[in-house]
Amino acid sequence: MAGCGKAHLRGSTALLSVEDLVVEFPAGRRTTIHAVSGISFDVLEGETLGVVGESGCGKSATARAIMQLPPPNSGSVIFDGEQMTQLSKENLRRSRTRMQMIFQDPISSLNPRRKVNEIVAEGLSIWHTDSDDIAIRRVHAMLEAVGLDPKAVENRRPHQFSSGQCQRICIARAMILDPKLIICDEPVSALDVSVQAQILNLLTNMKKRYGLTLVFIAHDLAVVKNVSDRVVVMYLGKICEVADPDRLYTHAAHPYTDILLASVPKPDPHMPIPKLQITGELPSPINPPSGCRFRTRCTKAQDVCAVQEPSLQKISSNHFVACHFPNETSTHVAI
Amino acid sequence: MQAKQPLLKVEDLRTYFGTPTGILKAVDGVSFSLNKGETIGIVGESGSGKSVLVRSIMNILSSNAIIAETSKVHFNGKDISRLRHCEAKHFWGTQMAMIFQDPMTSLNPVKKIGTQITESIRFHLKASKKEAIQKALELMGQVGIPEPRKRLKQYPHQLSGGMRQRITIAIALACNPKLLIADEPTTALDVTVQKQILDLLASLQEKLEMAMILITHDLGVVAGRTQRIGVMYAGKMLETADTKTLFRNMNHPYTEALFKSIPRIENQAHSRLEAISGYPPDMTRALLGCRFAPRCRYAQDQCLNEEPNLFETDQADHQQACFFPVGSPENKQAHAVNQKTGITAAGLALTAAVRS
Repeated sequence: MAGCGKAHLRGSTALLSVEDLVVEFPAGRRTTIHAVSGISFDVLEGETLGVVGESGCGKSATARAIMQLPPPNSGSVIFDGEQMTQLSKENLRRSRTRMQMIFQDPISSLNPRRKVNEIVAEGLSIWHTDSDDIAIRRVHAMLEAVGLDPKAVENRRPHQFSSGQCQRICIARAMILDPKLIICDEPVSALDVSVQAQILNLLTNMKKRYGLTLVFIAHDLAVVKNVSDRVVVMYLGKICEVADPDRLYTHAAHPYTDILLASVPKPDPHMPIPKLQITGELPSPINPPSGCRFRTRCTKAQDVCAVQEPSLQKISSNHFVACHFPNETSTHVAI
Repeated sequence: MQAKQPLLKVEDLRTYFGTPTGILKAVDGVSFSLNKGETIGIVGESGSGKSVLVRSIMNILSSNAIIAETSKVHFNGKDISRLRHCEAKHFWGTQMAMIFQDPMTSLNPVKKIGTQITESIRFHLKASKKEAIQKALELMGQVGIPEPRKRLKQYPHQLSGGMRQRITIAIALACNPKLLIADEPTTALDVTVQKQILDLLASLQEKLEMAMILITHDLGVVAGRTQRIGVMYAGKMLETADTKTLFRNMNHPYTEALFKSIPRIENQAHSRLEAISGYPPDMTRALLGCRFAPRCRYAQDQCLNEEPNLFETDQADHQQACFFPVGSPENKQAHAVNQKTGITAAGLALTAAVRS
């Protein structure tokens, strides 16, 4: 699986364009964790790019590399025409106002000792863009936009809120500087199904209202499908498949995508539970398999998969797959 | 079904906690029963009292918990709600065992996997060290852990989340319990690993003929894997039924709302989810009327003043607690009334109910 290749890039019109991104971490004793190994993707303005994959596949490392937290080992990240990897510290600081992040655990990503209005207003107070009373008004308007009552919540601290409300505060904090791009790193995986639906709807509303571009990371394909315009499936630091979400569901071409699709629990007791054709654990990113990285768990693996790394090939408009033996997409219906 | 004696019978369980802001009624009158080898799913949001319910059954509550005098928990015909700690200790593991949500915090980080698995085998079955290790290897094979001999000497941090949860399952199964309680066993895990763990639990349960209580907030998780489902909200059971009946016929508006908030993979991208607006009530306050009324689309004046109790529906073995059950003429009328005014009796604007 999975690979390199840039067939799916859409040229210079993209707001964010990531090429050959490599993120590695030292793991002691001269070993390296290959978290992200040369992936490329782009996001058009106003689009939501969904990134899906298991824990340890490099989703979060990718998100952080875009934010330069820390900068990637190699590769380019072009955001709004600027090469982020080469910016000076001061310019990077200025650029970051236009890209913000929302994290997985809403409670631990808020400072427990500060009040909600201080948390949300921090960006404004750093940049001194407004006078104090305008800043307060903006904070109130933003709290209202995320569905919280400003008068009731502004002087409370994070521990007085449920996780869903905390995630709303995180969204308000991310939105206050009017960013262009928001990177959501598993924003709903710590939440209940009912609250998850609230937050997904809120993100959709905010995107429409403020003309946002989103990078949405999750491990649940059903969640990603619900919000995305384009989905990237990742496995062990590589991209396996890129497609629009409806097509991905009906015509999954990569064996790994099949597995992700079959793993989503179906809320219907009359449907048989599909058998999962995956065995074993995610291989270690310290010593990833040669060739296609998915071959060790793939039912279709042949000799060629160990030798040659597949690159992303176009199989129809807006659908790219990195596999030597992709599913027949003309006849195939997922699951 | 009721003729033979159930394995577990919970009657009017009430568990309260003394807190600085008042008495918190975490579980407020829950009854259900479970037969040998049966699986019940308990579904509800965070804070609905699911975990406290099973902790009350297990007798592992914190010291500020109070169980009401009238509450009864019968296991195999014996009342276990008032066991003393020294008696309960022989009960845990051999009769009922529990798996917790977060496998990292439920395992001891400074003890080797081998020690943790063999601990209960040596204590309860009085096995020698050698026998215990043999049994541990067998268990690890059963739960699908590769290279079990190597794992015995490892620490929890050396394993992935899925592997750790397999270890906790192995520990829970070590002394062949009759009842396994799984408290959100897969919430902290990826979907792919979630499926593996649920499949594993189902196959083990069948093989060992255990009864199981599966707790989750996701109706999708319990759909194919339980015989019965109980839906909990704010310390009360709102609807209980046979799984297939429940999914065919969701009577309670809360069950319906939970079901509709699941993102379905077969839906078109960007289809709007029907979230439940608002948050669960503050359980330290006295609650009047139906507890779900403030968030319910069908709420009427009656719902605010009178508390509905669980009652039988037309279907056998299907109980629900709503004055205006979904699908009934009363419900249609209530819906029409609320649609006309645009606001429910509890003051929830219907447009907001759909939007956020």
